[in-house]
Amino acid sequence: MSDVLVRTEGLIKDYGRHRALDGLDLEVSRGEIFGFLGPNGAGKSTTIRILLDQLRPTAGRAEVFGTTPREGGPRQRARIGYLPGELALSGRDTAAALLDHLARLRGGVGATRIPELAERFNLDLDRPIRGLSKGNKQKVGVIQAFMHEPELLILDEPTSGLDPLLQHEFLTMVREARGAGATVFMSSHVLSEVEEIAGRVAIVREGRIVDLDDVATLRHHAGQEVELGFAEPVPAEAFDGLPGVSDVEVDAASVRCLLRGEPDALLKVAARYHVTRWSAQNRELEDLFLDHYRVPVTDADGEVVADAASAHASTTTGTGQDTEGAR
Amino acid sequence: MVSDATTSRSPDVAPAATAAAAGGSDPTPRRAGGITVLRWVLRQHRRALIGWTVAVAVVCGIYVSFWPAMGDAGELDALIEGMPEGLVAAMGYDAIGTPAGYLESTVFGLLGPILLLVFGLTFAAKLVAGEEEDGTLELELSSPVARGSVYLQRYLAVVVALLWLCLVVALVTVGLIAALDMEVGTPEVLATTLGMYLLVLAFASLAFAAGAATGRKAIALAVGAGLAVLSYIANALAPLLDDGQWLEAISPFAWYLASEPLVDGLSVPGALGLVAWALVPAGLAIVRFDRRDLGV
Repeated sequence: MSDVLVRTEGLIKDYGRHRALDGLDLEVSRGEIFGFLGPNGAGKSTTIRILLDQLRPTAGRAEVFGTTPREGGPRQRARIGYLPGELALSGRDTAAALLDHLARLRGGVGATRIPELAERFNLDLDRPIRGLSKGNKQKVGVIQAFMHEPELLILDEPTSGLDPLLQHEFLTMVREARGAGATVFMSSHVLSEVEEIAGRVAIVREGRIVDLDDVATLRHHAGQEVELGFAEPVPAEAFDGLPGVSDVEVDAASVRCLLRGEPDALLKVAARYHVTRWSAQNRELEDLFLDHYRVPVTDADGEVVADAASAHASTTTGTGQDTEGAR
Repeated sequence: MVSDATTSRSPDVAPAATAAAAGGSDPTPRRAGGITVLRWVLRQHRRALIGWTVAVAVVCGIYVSFWPAMGDAGELDALIEGMPEGLVAAMGYDAIGTPAGYLESTVFGLLGPILLLVFGLTFAAKLVAGEEEDGTLELELSSPVARGSVYLQRYLAVVVALLWLCLVVALVTVGLIAALDMEVGTPEVLATTLGMYLLVLAFASLAFAAGAATGRKAIALAVGAGLAVLSYIANALAPLLDDGQWLEAISPFAWYLASEPLVDGLSVPGALGLVAWALVPAGLAIVRFDRRDLGV
């Protein structure tokens, strides 16, 4: 019990007639880095803002450190570091003044770490907040979330606005925090960043968890895109029904398929013919992600499709079952 | 850094979890700093406050300084002669030829309330509703400070800022009254300033409460400004009607001015009415603010 830091059970949140969360269940254990994935509008920020007691659930239950956010109140929030998804900062005060103020709101905890973190992220503390770029504001957000070394980090789209170098620095910081005993719950609509550090990943869609697994399993499910070239045309039937092989396309002398698990059977069949060329590419988790969001949008790169998915989310009817079938 | 973090956290990780779960006290020092929010808000608005201080002082100073040229010289009495009786009554110019009447018609009855209302309403509407709408309140509300405390401290910022500006009005007026040798007593000026303060605070509180209850700055401004204008009109119309008493009874402007506070001091029931007008909505809205969803 005490090892589950975040738990939601049948969490429902309605905004008027729109249902943002539709029975969301999840558990985040102490010490893990938990990725919370889904396109914009899937309910990630709504879930997170319930955990921070900014929104109150319509039904169901959310618990952080074993108590509801409402009951937990300030004492609970003292143990959380939070980075909002849409961070809004303004004012003529300097970044240093704002961060100092935020530390004071925590009784001064974390104030001493501000200069060190600012240096790490190359943030000029003496500049006024309102003159900062989006990326620099995001740095302020990251610093205030980490400075008091909270037990639980709740990060909503943390790397948005950070350049690749800083994203790397950020991920290093997340690992360090975990190493120091912290638990991390971070949302994203980009899988690659979560894939790198998360232990488990939940995929949320239309306010429900549609998949929950450790990254390795998701990686396994994602499989490999295999392409084989032959010296002469091969019979399509030969590649039918091989274990772990699906989506086979045979085009005269070349075969493309999706491989999940061991390649043994596929290689043994291929070896009967003269293989001139082969490639096996790890599918990005993005592709798996798209399996969950498969929508009537053709042929676009990952990001466009993900956006399209949220725009068209209401037109799709599939659930987690789709993917179960695909496996 | 890693080892640092470990040593500072490890002693209280497990106990803190159980203590919080059991509703016990948290062992780590988390005094979420008393009036930190109030100080931050005033600090953030210090430039605006300085600007308004200057504006209020200058406008009051100019109007009080006109007295020797206008009132003493009989200019105003001549002007009133030429005005329709109704207009004179509506504007409260009946006694404009006396120092007290002049001050009541200008500084305390019109310019003071207008300037202070413009400041007070916009300030009050911004502090919760405005900052919630633009998202800048989010970090404060996710900090270990209770929502109710955020509300109270921000409300206190309105209370303090208006009190300061009213003090400026009182100081400038009392100083110039002495310098110009006008026959108005300092206790009456202070009482009238208190009345003006309570009047402006009443409408600012209403705007603050409406904004905190709804999260909408536009609603805050509309409610505060709308009722202020209606109240002013009711007070102005009352003397024109044969049975205008009820208009005075419901107008906070009348609670403040009808007793001619610069001559007779502030009416106690009027002052209490203004206090109630300020505190009741502010008290009701804190309950709503504590319960509702934020920033949606």
